[in-house]
Amino acid sequence: MSISFSERLLGLISNVYEISAKSVSFWESFQPPEDISSNGHLIEWLFYYTTYVNLFWFALVVIGLFGFSFLYSQKRHKKPVYTHGNEKKHLFITAFIAVGVFLSVDLVITKVSSRDMKESFWNFDDSGDTVKVQVLAQQWAWNFRYAGADGEFNTADDVVTLNNMRVPMGKKIFIQMTSKDVIHAFYLPNARVKADAIPGRFSKLWFDANKAGEYEIACAEMCGTHHYLMKAQLTVLTQEDFASWVNESQSMAIATNDTEDVNLRWGWKWGSK
Amino acid sequence: MAFLEQHIHDEPKTFVSKYLISYDHKVIGKQFLFYGIFFLLVGGLMALLIRWTLAYPGVPFPVIGNLLFPHTGGVVPPDTYAMLFTMHGTIMIFFAITPILIGAFGNFCIPLMIGARDMIFPTLNMLSFWFSMASGALLLISLCLPLGAAAGGWTSYPTLSTTLGSPGAGQTLWLLSLFLFGASSTMGAVNYITTVITLRAPGMDYFKMPLTIWGIWLTSILNAIFVPVLGAGLILLTFDRVFGTTFFLAGAAATSGKGDPVLFQHVFWIFGHPEVYILILPAWGIVSDLLSFFSRKPAFGYKMTALSLTAITILSTVVYGHHMYTTQMSPLLTQSFMTLTMLISMPSAVFFANWLGTLWKGSIRFTSPMLFSLGVVFVFGLGGLTGLYLASTSIDLYLHDTYFVVGHFHYTMAASVLLGGFAGTYFWFPKMFGRMMDEKLAKIHFWATMIPLNGIFTGMMMMGWAGMHRRLYNPFIYEFTQNLIPLNKFVTYCAITMGLVQFIFLYNFFKTIFGKNIPQASSNPWEVGTLEWTIPSPAPHYNFKEIPHVKCGPHELGNPNLTDGKDFQYQTEELVKA
Amino acid sequence: MATKAQIQEEKVFQNSVAMTVTLIAFGMMFATLFLGYFLVRANAAVWPPVEIQNMPKLLPFLSTLVMGLSSLTYFKMEKSESQRSLYWSLTFALGIVFLVLQWILWAALKEKGILVSNGNVPSMVIAFTWIHAAHILLGLIALLWLGKFVLKKKEELTVIKLMNVGKFWHFLGVIWLLIYLMMFVL
Repeated sequence: MSISFSERLLGLISNVYEISAKSVSFWESFQPPEDISSNGHLIEWLFYYTTYVNLFWFALVVIGLFGFSFLYSQKRHKKPVYTHGNEKKHLFITAFIAVGVFLSVDLVITKVSSRDMKESFWNFDDSGDTVKVQVLAQQWAWNFRYAGADGEFNTADDVVTLNNMRVPMGKKIFIQMTSKDVIHAFYLPNARVKADAIPGRFSKLWFDANKAGEYEIACAEMCGTHHYLMKAQLTVLTQEDFASWVNESQSMAIATNDTEDVNLRWGWKWGSK
Repeated sequence: MAFLEQHIHDEPKTFVSKYLISYDHKVIGKQFLFYGIFFLLVGGLMALLIRWTLAYPGVPFPVIGNLLFPHTGGVVPPDTYAMLFTMHGTIMIFFAITPILIGAFGNFCIPLMIGARDMIFPTLNMLSFWFSMASGALLLISLCLPLGAAAGGWTSYPTLSTTLGSPGAGQTLWLLSLFLFGASSTMGAVNYITTVITLRAPGMDYFKMPLTIWGIWLTSILNAIFVPVLGAGLILLTFDRVFGTTFFLAGAAATSGKGDPVLFQHVFWIFGHPEVYILILPAWGIVSDLLSFFSRKPAFGYKMTALSLTAITILSTVVYGHHMYTTQMSPLLTQSFMTLTMLISMPSAVFFANWLGTLWKGSIRFTSPMLFSLGVVFVFGLGGLTGLYLASTSIDLYLHDTYFVVGHFHYTMAASVLLGGFAGTYFWFPKMFGRMMDEKLAKIHFWATMIPLNGIFTGMMMMGWAGMHRRLYNPFIYEFTQNLIPLNKFVTYCAITMGLVQFIFLYNFFKTIFGKNIPQASSNPWEVGTLEWTIPSPAPHYNFKEIPHVKCGPHELGNPNLTDGKDFQYQTEELVKA
Repeated sequence: MATKAQIQEEKVFQNSVAMTVTLIAFGMMFATLFLGYFLVRANAAVWPPVEIQNMPKLLPFLSTLVMGLSSLTYFKMEKSESQRSLYWSLTFALGIVFLVLQWILWAALKEKGILVSNGNVPSMVIAFTWIHAAHILLGLIALLWLGKFVLKKKEELTVIKLMNVGKFWHFLGVIWLLIYLMMFVL
C-alpha cells in the first residue's frame, strides 16, 4: 500500500501534534526507561553532571562563536587586531581553559566512574542470599538456567527457561553468560547495564530489581538478520512468588526432563573461566 | 642538504594521459574528489533507506522502492537492512571521507602549499588512485551477489563475520576490497609523508607550513602506522573464511580447533581508534587555516595548535579500549583506557580555544568556506563533548551500542568532516577548476544543511539516552522504545531534507565545472598568502615556474604596517615588522 | 645550483625517508601478527599446546641460515662493483632456496598433523610463515627488477635502487628471525 503525498503531509503535521497531544510529553519521550535497580541512579547522576558541565563549556563556545561572529563581522569591525596569539598571556588563558575542562569534566568523571565500578558494578561478591542465573545467548533467543535445590548447575533439577528470566525483588541477581554462536550482548535497560556474551568465554553481570513487574531484555550487539527480534522478558516477582515458582519448576524439571538430552545440559560449573 | 628542484615535465596531450592515467597530483586529487562524491551519494542513499525503515517500518520506500526490492513490494527486508548499515558505514568512512579529505585535498594541496611541482613519487600516486578504484569496484560488485554484501556491521566482528555467521562471498569480497583500500592508503601515506619532509620549498620550516598541511601530514603518519594493523586483521579473518584457520573461531563456529573472537576486536580497534582521528585531522587543519583567512588575522596560537594536533595524534594510539568496555577486559586495563581517553580533552580544548581566539577581534568575511568552517566549530564542539560520556566506563554500561554512540560519531565524523570537506571544496575550487562556485547557492547549501544536520544527530543522542539500541531493523518491537516513534520520524524528515539539499551543491559543483560562459577566477580570489594563491587559477600543470622562496608564515593577515594596499602578505614576501 | 653530489645526497635522503615509512607500514602489519601471538601465548594455560607439539626444528633453522646468508650476499652485492652480478645471482638463488625450504616445512607440518584447522596456534605458525613467504615473493620480484640494472650495468640509478630493495630484503630477514625465535625456538 503506497501513501499519497497529501497523506504523508498530513502525517507530518499530525506527528508534531502527536508529540504534544500524547499522554507522554516530548521531554518524557526521550527519558530512559524506569530504573528498577539500586545502582542505575549512579549512571544517571554522572550523566546529568556531565551534561551540566558540558552545557557550561559549550555555552562558552556558542557565545564565542556567535558573539564574535556578530561583534567582529567585517561590517562592524573593519580593522582586525594583528596578533599571533603566542604571547604569555594568551598561552596562559588557553592553558587555563584546557585545565579547567579537564578538572571539571574529565577528572570528575574518571573518579566517579572508577568509584562506581569498583564499589558497585564490578562488585561480584556472590556469597550470601543471592540468585545465580546462567545465560546462554544464541541466534536469536535467550536461554536461562537456574541451579535448583541442589545448588549445582547442569544437573537434573535445573530450571531452564526460554526468553523469560524470572527474578525475585530485593535480592542481588548474579549472571554468568556465554554465547552459542556469535557475539551477543545482554542488555537490561531498566537496570542500565549490559555485557557482551561471547562464544568461548564467560562474562558476568549483576543487578537487582526493586519493583515487581514485567520488563524487557534486549540484545545489544549485532548478531545477524534477526538481531532486532532477540527480545526476552524480565519478570520480577515477590520473593515468595519466586520461591514457589522455583520449587514448582524444579519438581517439574526432575519429573519431565529427559536426562539423556545433551542439548539441555548447556550449563557449566558456576565460576568457570 | 641542498634543495632538489623537481623539473618541469611536458604537458600531457592525450585524453588518457590528461584525465585517466595521470601522474599529476592535481588531476589525481580531482579524480579522488569525483570518486568520493560518487560514493558519498551511494552511502547517502543507503542512509535514507535506513532512516525510512526506522520511521516507517513495513512501508515501501518511495519512488525507487519497487526497483530495489521487487520481492517485498518495495519494503526494505531485514537482511538487506543489515547489509545497508554495514555498507553505509564502510562506504562513508573508506570510500567517501578518506578519498575526499585525504585523497583529494591531500593530493591537491600538499605540493601546492609547500611550493613543490608534484608529489615525490608521481607513479606511486597514480597507483594509489587506481588501487582505490579497484577496491571500490570490488565493493560494488559485492552488492550484486546472490547472498548479498557483507552484513555484519562495518566493524565485522567475528564470529558473525566468519563463514558461520556470514555465508557467501559478500563478506570475503568486503575483506579483499578493504585490503586493496589499505594498500592504496599506505601508498598515499608514504608519498605524503616523504613529500612534506623532503620537498618543502626553501624557507618553509615545519612551523611555516599551513595548518592544512599539518593536519594531512599527521593523518598520513597515523595512516602509515595503523592501516597495516587493519590489514593484518583483514588477512587473518580472510584466512579463517577461506583457508580454514581458526584465529577467531569459537562456539558453534569452531568445528575443529578454536581461537579468540575478542582478539579481532583488539586488532580492529588498535586501527579503528586512530582511524577516526585520521578522518578528522585534515578537516581540523583546513578549518584552522580558513578561520584565520576569513577573520583577516593570523591563526591564534599557531604553534600550540600544531603541537596539540601532534599530541592528539600520539594520544590517539593508546585509547582504543574504550570501544571494548563491554567485553570485560581486566579492570586495570579498562581503567587505564578510560584515563588515557580523558587526557585527549586537553589538547582538544587548546586548539579549540585557539579557533575562538582566531575569530576574536578579527574582521570576519562570511564567505561560504568561512560559514562551513564556523559550522565545524559548532558541530565538533558538541560532538567532542559527547565523547566524554562514552569514555566513562560506568555511563558506557548504559550507552554502549545505543543511538548515543551513533549521534556522537556522526557529529564528530560525519558532521565535522562533511562540513570541513565542503569548506575545502568551496575554497580550493577556483584553484582546481579556474572558476568560482556560485556563492549564493553555496550559502543556501550551508544553512539548509546545517539545520537538519543538527536535528538528525541531536535527535539520535536523545534516542540513545532513552536507551534505544542500534542496528535494529524494527526497534519498536520493544515496549521501552515506543515513545521514540515521533522522534525517529522527525530525524528521518531531517535526513531526507538534508539529503535533498545536497543536490544544490551537486548542481552548483557540476554546473560551474562544465557550464559555458562562467567567468574565469583570478589567481587569488580569497586574498590570502599561502603559496597556491601566487600562481594562476587553475594551477598550471607544472605548478610553479620558479620554485618560491618562503620568507614568512601562512597567516600573515591584518598587519597594520603593510603599505601596498593589501591586508595580507604572500609567504614569499619578507615579513613586515608590526 | 646544486652539484651532482648534493643532488645524489638529497635523493638518498628522500628514498631513505620513503623506505623507512614503507618499512614501518609493513612492520606494523607483522607487529600485529606478533601481538596476537604474544597475547595467545601469554594467556595460554600450558605451552607448547598439544596442537603444535613436535614441530620440525632443522627446517626452520636452515631457513634462518639461508636468510642470513642472503642478506650477506646482498650486502656484498651493494659494495662490490666487479662481482655485482655474481652476488645478485647468489642472493636470488638463496631467496628461491628459502621458499623451497618453507614449502618443505609446510609439508612437514601437515605430515605431523599440525593443521590450521586444529586451533589458533597452529593457524598462527602456518599463516604467519605463509604471509612472510608471500612478502619474500614480493622481494624476489623486486630483486628481478633490480637484476635488470645489475646485469645490464646501468650505473647511475643503481645506488638508490640497491639501497631501497636492500632495506626491504634485510627487513624481511629480520622478520624471519623474529618468527623463528618466537615460534620455533623460545
